[in-house]
Amino acid sequence: MSNSKKKYSVVFMPDCVETSAEEGSNLLETAIASGVHINAGCGGAGTCGTCNILIKTGKVVGQKTANVSDADYQDGLRQACSSRVMSDLVVEVPAASRLEAAVLKRETPDSASAAMLLSGWNYSPPIEKRFIRMSPPTMQDNTSDLSRLLRCLDNSQTESIVEADFSVTKKLATTARQDNWHVSATLLKLAGHTRLINIEPSDTRTTNYAFVFDIGTTAVRGQLLDLNRGQISAQAIGYNKQIRFGADVIARINQCSQPGGLAKLQTAAVDTINELLHQMLSSSGVAHSSINHIVVAANTVMVHMLLALDPKYLRMSPYVPTISSPPLVRARSLGIDTEEHVRLFCMPSVASYVGGDIVSGILGSGVYQRPSLTLYIDIGTNGEIVLGNNEWLVTAAASAGPTFEGGGIRCGMLAINGAIEDLRLDDASAEPSVKVIGDGQPLGICGSGIINLTASLLKNGLITQAGRFNMEKSSARLRYGENGAEYVLTYAADSGTGKDITFNETDMDNLIRSKAALYAGYHTLILSVGKHMSDIDHVVIAGTFGNRLNIENAITIGLLPDLPRHKFTFIGNGSLLGARLIAFSTEVQRQSSVVASMMTNLELSENADFMSSYTAAMFLPHTDAALFPSVTTGDTA
Amino acid sequence: MNNNAIFELPKQNYSGLIKTVTLGKGDKAVSVGGGNSYPFHYFEGNSCHRARIAMEIYDAPPDDWPAAALEPFADVVSDPLAWARKCVTDYEAELICLQLTGTDPNGANTSAEQAASTVNRVANGIDVPLIVWGTANHEKDTEVLRLVCETCHDKKLIVGPVEEGDYKKIAATALGYGHTIIASSSIDINLAKQLNILLANLGVPDSQLVLDPTVSSIGYGIEYCYSVIERIRMAALTQQDEKLAAPIIVNIARETWKSKEAGMSVNDDPKLGNAAKRGIMLEAISAWILLMAGGDIAIMRHPEAISLVRGMICDLS
Repeated sequence: MSNSKKKYSVVFMPDCVETSAEEGSNLLETAIASGVHINAGCGGAGTCGTCNILIKTGKVVGQKTANVSDADYQDGLRQACSSRVMSDLVVEVPAASRLEAAVLKRETPDSASAAMLLSGWNYSPPIEKRFIRMSPPTMQDNTSDLSRLLRCLDNSQTESIVEADFSVTKKLATTARQDNWHVSATLLKLAGHTRLINIEPSDTRTTNYAFVFDIGTTAVRGQLLDLNRGQISAQAIGYNKQIRFGADVIARINQCSQPGGLAKLQTAAVDTINELLHQMLSSSGVAHSSINHIVVAANTVMVHMLLALDPKYLRMSPYVPTISSPPLVRARSLGIDTEEHVRLFCMPSVASYVGGDIVSGILGSGVYQRPSLTLYIDIGTNGEIVLGNNEWLVTAAASAGPTFEGGGIRCGMLAINGAIEDLRLDDASAEPSVKVIGDGQPLGICGSGIINLTASLLKNGLITQAGRFNMEKSSARLRYGENGAEYVLTYAADSGTGKDITFNETDMDNLIRSKAALYAGYHTLILSVGKHMSDIDHVVIAGTFGNRLNIENAITIGLLPDLPRHKFTFIGNGSLLGARLIAFSTEVQRQSSVVASMMTNLELSENADFMSSYTAAMFLPHTDAALFPSVTTGDTA
Repeated sequence: MNNNAIFELPKQNYSGLIKTVTLGKGDKAVSVGGGNSYPFHYFEGNSCHRARIAMEIYDAPPDDWPAAALEPFADVVSDPLAWARKCVTDYEAELICLQLTGTDPNGANTSAEQAASTVNRVANGIDVPLIVWGTANHEKDTEVLRLVCETCHDKKLIVGPVEEGDYKKIAATALGYGHTIIASSSIDINLAKQLNILLANLGVPDSQLVLDPTVSSIGYGIEYCYSVIERIRMAALTQQDEKLAAPIIVNIARETWKSKEAGMSVNDDPKLGNAAKRGIMLEAISAWILLMAGGDIAIMRHPEAISLVRGMICDLS
């Protein structure tokens, strides 16, 4: 062992986590290994600048990246992903590099009206518990325990044949005799037949629960459902632990090509689910053994990773998934901490970039039931869009990028504590008044803040329709900074980071590209089916920040179409909405594959009109002013 | 079956009109645009003002031109005014385009003062309209073209290229002195329109705006340029897109003559035939294609190429 490397102690503040690391170890990996979370949007490639850390004492080596300014570098600021341990260290993880899951909970629960969007379904959960009183065996009636049980079940239900899981038979003999042949049978109702998946002594019908999860690229949301009451008993939210391997699905697919990569991502997804699952059990007091079912709605990439299917081919033309309607799997076989009998149902998907989360949203919002024409927009990193009615549905993914979640923006951040989520500019002075999540000092700006800022700058004439700052306008907030022309939102003295919070022209370019991708996506989709914007009866907006989206401002910058405002409906998290209904109704579950099969996917990357439409949309609000008649900008002489 | 039936050409219905822009001043002022149909579609409408050719001259003697291009001007290339006069007198040029390549910071980098003085001298020495074309370097063009606009304040020049990256200062100055602006964008109908909107926001009137959609030579993507110009014209004439209804200028000669094919000698590749004729044809046909697409002003170099294109314009008019 003569060549063994020196070991150093590394302490991560403010959580005071101490770990030991070999000389030369990568600091980001060291942090991950010790359970300290540092944001790393690019998966450690050194490009995103989100994993900033402060070296309080000790020495690291590594390249100075463009994301760290000279002054910050002097102060000890480094990117964790490009720093190597060279001595004992004390490392501070600044607030902006940490995750604050608590604030995500602020999301308003899906409204009652939203839940009513899907109509005409009956409450009939796929999981049913039945109390059975068997007659004890006698010398005359000496049929086997299982036949005895199935005989009772068949007696009580004639419409379908009951099959038993082998795992039920293993504990049948003991369970049946525990309470004098009184048992509770858990049945899973599938198309055409019913499966006996669990057996418990006595009458346990009062406890029957299911979990639903929306596995997003950025955040994972879960709900615990009481199947006897059709109610949500608990909910929880947390960041997808896969974030450390990359902010977007492409980076994560690439990670899967590394040795052991897929296993790491699969584990990260399962760890996230388990953490939320235990949170919900403890906050509700529901017993672990009362969980009988799990429904998952997620994009195709997330589903592949959860099921440990190699996602490599999803990102290669012709973009074919391994599976679009995954069979039921035992949740425990994936590593999810449930009892053996619990099955996990994945919402079917349509294509590589149009996943079960969108099918779920369409299902839950009932778009596929109505004759009126609906445009469904999921404002998120993948930018999925659906257009259609009760006869047809077309779908596309516009790949908007992480801008709306604060990614690719110099002072951008997720909609968590410290993020500027709303602001107004004074008409005369262009001085901003900002609204910060958590009401503390601002640390950065999140998606809704970015949209509101851009709309305000445009209305005040501080930017041109091309997104360039009008430097000749007299505003103390406009200046030339390290990255060119910029607008100062918050001066260092008032910010929580001790530095100015700014928005520059590169940020503006990123925003314009993101909104143009979404606009071009739905514009192309609408035209490709021979329709026009004015034919749209409803616009359903889903997404992580749907509830905090200012419609008027989103229209001003050309993100949403200029339609009468009453046509817009927010449903919040559409993915969870559909998943919940599936847990509540076998009928709805069957509908899910109908909805998926109704959807025709349009591959925008192969569409020539999309590129042209995209360039046309790279203007505020749009190159074709006739498409935005209600918008007036301040960009005139 | 009616034997008296006469074949009727299917006709396009137009709803738009290209704006008329008058270049220069006095007797020799030239108007372009004004048409209400696709170029040379006289059976459908009228082009109002015919397509024009501007002859190009340079502020510094060219050092990389093929012999055939240089030959007609060998005696005047070191004097821009003499060159301009030769174009007007010997070749009946209706417009002159002074290309300020000497100001390129990556080249001779002549000063804005020097450039402005050259432009002023040429402008004072000829009576046809003068187009002044910079280097598309935003900082340098801002400096050079603003000074040119100021120095030649009464000359009603046509100045460009004015791009998204430098339009504010150049356009504001040009506007202040009554010059016409060449709005230049890179080969995309949307980018062209966006710049025109920005210029309109700045107060540039339609009567002082021509459009440069960026062009390239035969063999170097001219079909793409054709398609973009054609789409701009379709938008203006059939979709009443006022923001795309400006006359179009194509700065094509320099693109054709710098191509490898224009510069090769007959010995380099005998299959390509006579070098001089080849260069002339490349220029003439490239220019012609772009006029067919919808160009209103072609900037050209070689007298023989110009003569060919003029002949074709006459034949079709």
